[in-house]
Amino acid sequence: MASSLRRIATHSPQAAAWRSSLTPICRQFASDALVEIKPGEIGMVSGIPDEHLRRRVVIFSPARTASQQGSGKVGKWKINFMSTQKWENPLMGWTSTGDPYANVGDSALCFESEEAAKAFAEKHGWEYTVKKRHTPLLKIKSYADNFKWKGPPKTAE
Amino acid sequence: MGLGLLASRTLRSSSRIFHNNGPTTHFLRTITSTPDLNNADASASAVQQPDLPPRNPVGGARVHFPNPEDAIEVFVDGYPVKIPKGMTVLQACEVAGVDIPRFCYHSRLSIAGNCRMCLVEVEKSPKPVASCAMPALPGMKIKTDTPIAKKAREGVMEFLLMNHPLDCPICDQGGECDLQDQSMAFGSDRGRFTEMKRSVVDKNLGPLVKTVMTRCIQCTRCVRFASEVAGVEDLGMLGRGSGEEIGTYVEKLMTSELSGNVIDICPVGALTSKPFAFKARNWELKGTESIDVTDAVGSNIRIDSRGPEVMRVVPRLNEDINEEWISDKTRFFYDGLKRQRLNDPMLRGPDGRFKAVTWRDALAIVAEVMHQIKPEEIVGVAGKLSDAESMMALKDLLNKMGSNNIFCEGNGMHPNADLRSGYIMNTGISGLEKADAFLLVGTQPRVEAAMVNARIRKTVKATNAKVGYVGPAADFNYDHRHLGTDPKTLVEIAEGRHPFSSALKNAKNPVIIVGAGVFEREDKDAVFAAVETIGKNNNVVRPDWNGLNVLLLNGAQAAALDLGLVPESDKCIESAKFVYLMGADDVSLDKLPDDAFVVYQGHHGDRGVYRANVILPASAFTEKEGIYENTEGCAQITLPAVPTVGDARDDWKIIRALSEVAGVGLPYDSLGAIRSRIRTVAPNLLELDERQPATFSTSLRPEVSQKVSETPFTPAVENFYMTDAITRASKIMAQCSALLRK
Ligand code: SF4
Ligand code: FES
Repeated sequence: MASSLRRIATHSPQAAAWRSSLTPICRQFASDALVEIKPGEIGMVSGIPDEHLRRRVVIFSPARTASQQGSGKVGKWKINFMSTQKWENPLMGWTSTGDPYANVGDSALCFESEEAAKAFAEKHGWEYTVKKRHTPLLKIKSYADNFKWKGPPKTAE
Repeated sequence: MGLGLLASRTLRSSSRIFHNNGPTTHFLRTITSTPDLNNADASASAVQQPDLPPRNPVGGARVHFPNPEDAIEVFVDGYPVKIPKGMTVLQACEVAGVDIPRFCYHSRLSIAGNCRMCLVEVEKSPKPVASCAMPALPGMKIKTDTPIAKKAREGVMEFLLMNHPLDCPICDQGGECDLQDQSMAFGSDRGRFTEMKRSVVDKNLGPLVKTVMTRCIQCTRCVRFASEVAGVEDLGMLGRGSGEEIGTYVEKLMTSELSGNVIDICPVGALTSKPFAFKARNWELKGTESIDVTDAVGSNIRIDSRGPEVMRVVPRLNEDINEEWISDKTRFFYDGLKRQRLNDPMLRGPDGRFKAVTWRDALAIVAEVMHQIKPEEIVGVAGKLSDAESMMALKDLLNKMGSNNIFCEGNGMHPNADLRSGYIMNTGISGLEKADAFLLVGTQPRVEAAMVNARIRKTVKATNAKVGYVGPAADFNYDHRHLGTDPKTLVEIAEGRHPFSSALKNAKNPVIIVGAGVFEREDKDAVFAAVETIGKNNNVVRPDWNGLNVLLLNGAQAAALDLGLVPESDKCIESAKFVYLMGADDVSLDKLPDDAFVVYQGHHGDRGVYRANVILPASAFTEKEGIYENTEGCAQITLPAVPTVGDARDDWKIIRALSEVAGVGLPYDSLGAIRSRIRTVAPNLLELDERQPATFSTSLRPEVSQKVSETPFTPAVENFYMTDAITRASKIMAQCSALLRK
């Protein structure tokens, strides 16, 4: 059921028309109206503390969970902030963090392509490295292989 | 018609108000519900659209065409795809970007075709077909998204759920379960089954795999994994019909070094991780993609952490290294990261006890002592788990102090660091699959590098490759011939007097693998010379094939040799007055003079600490960013997943700080700067995730006059489960060594 609803949202022409009527307006505000953004500027104007303007981040594409077949989340790109400033809070035992980005990378930032992720990091002035994405290799498999003759039976040693 | 179906039918027909019935294209890659039955012809006409957007294979998969002429074209939901002849319908769908739901099919196991979840409709076929077992034929029109396919899957799902317990809230697989996922798409919200659900007695498979057999859906993935990949014929299917059970028949532990992988391949929660049981839910975990350094394979892993704690380790796909498996050591050592950690700089007092001091004091003392000692009496030893950055820093520091006695444990005192092809796996791990004869010299890959062993096994199974083994009696999970125990056998093979030489001669792609245990032998050069002669006589090294390999033992070895960590004199430990152990626990300090000053920098209170005068706490590989090179010469990087404990610091930072205190400041103070320094020494270490083959072959090596000795080869790894400081601190690994070692 959920998926048919989703289909309506993404594929119905009404939604598309609504989106297309909106896009030019957004465009205007986003790129035409403002001057070109230089690398790092977004970070500076958005009130982010100075020490977080220079960060090293890793751009990567999360691998498929080994225990699940689903590939819905595969192929997206994420930013890992390598944030490890965490500690167990002595009061309640919860995890505290001293890093405003600690939960941003994993849960909030998701890009469709490597380029988008890079552009985002550049805009914020982060020093990034990109990790190569590993993809599976599809090789021919056949059910008949189960019954293939694999040489004479081995003598047990 | 079931109530649930009826209900969803009603809901769906109401939702059709928003649909326009004209030709729409829906390209959802995942399991989707279909337009309902009445709408069937509308959707059939829809898929014939001419301007189809390009689709990408599921998961960005690459398709391997063994023979480019043999490509056929099939249509998946009207979208034409080119696939090599012989692929199954399911694979064709995958190439077309359609993920077919499945339970029993696994891309790395043989095809069983027994769950029937993968049913699709094929034009002109009267019934839905099981796509995983059906070969795709040219021009086949496959429909994955039709009412018939959906109904078929719903039927299968209903049968599966009939006997599946409603355990999800207490099941460890909950949230990452294929059955759960797919029942969201094909399950009904109520069942028509009114009898009792069956229950099955749980089996005891050992300390790693927890079983809740009632949850099993008899997909037989675990059985196939055990017999095909792990090579232990322990698991099997007993009984028939509703009495069907997975088990070992007589109670038996699963003694395989890869047993943990059945946890991942089990599509339901029947096989889960015992150490992880009820510790966390998977949606609370933060995954950090990193690599494993407990052996030289560098398996790609994801470290799942919750807050400041590593909760589990799972494999990550890398076709060239570990495919999708990891060894049990990699998967379960993580509890060692919480035990025996060093968290404060410590100084051994006159009473022999350690007391915590500040970093400032500790570094000042080390620097002072270091300056009082003659440069040639300073020795540095890099440990098994050291990353390239810290080894570079340590080497630079010692060189600045005037000493050149630095080595990495496991490499022996006369390492050959000049020719890179002499210490890496030239064939590459995935290259082993092309081989048709193996000669293993003094190496037991099963315990030294379980993933490499899995590759060899895969090759042996696929091509009936012959395996000859020279070394102490060892455990293999494939057919092999034990040729001898000492290097004399090698000489015989080299001279063509041995029966195995003909097997090597006739092989098209022979592979020789020498274990890194040989590095510690006196007659190492002679052994390597003999191996090279064998190579020369059997055409092992050709322009298109390099079959001369060394299988390393530790994560740090290859990078250490690349960086030139070679001791100036082989007696340096005997004459040392100041020893800097950077995580080195397995180097023998028996011959060290009693008055020597030992600094131990590391993360675990392990063997190295017993002799140490000063302890400098460092971070473990899960807590830092570091470059490691694996045995095939592929540099990879670890990423920090959790914070370090206590006052510990990254290894290279400690050395950098020490150099400052000692007044010989190193010219770098950031990771970037230290990597530029590495670039001047070993640029290949910075080409991450890309295997860097050696450029020159070993034939450039000078003549060796040494003779091989009679001493038999010795096993390099005593205990697979405990090889380094982290695994020795792990309780799970201790249990495994107690129970599973034969
Ligand atoms: S235990 Fe898991 S992997 Fe094995 S047959 Fe049952 S469901 Fe399949
Ligand atoms: S996946 Fe095809 S029958 Fe199980």
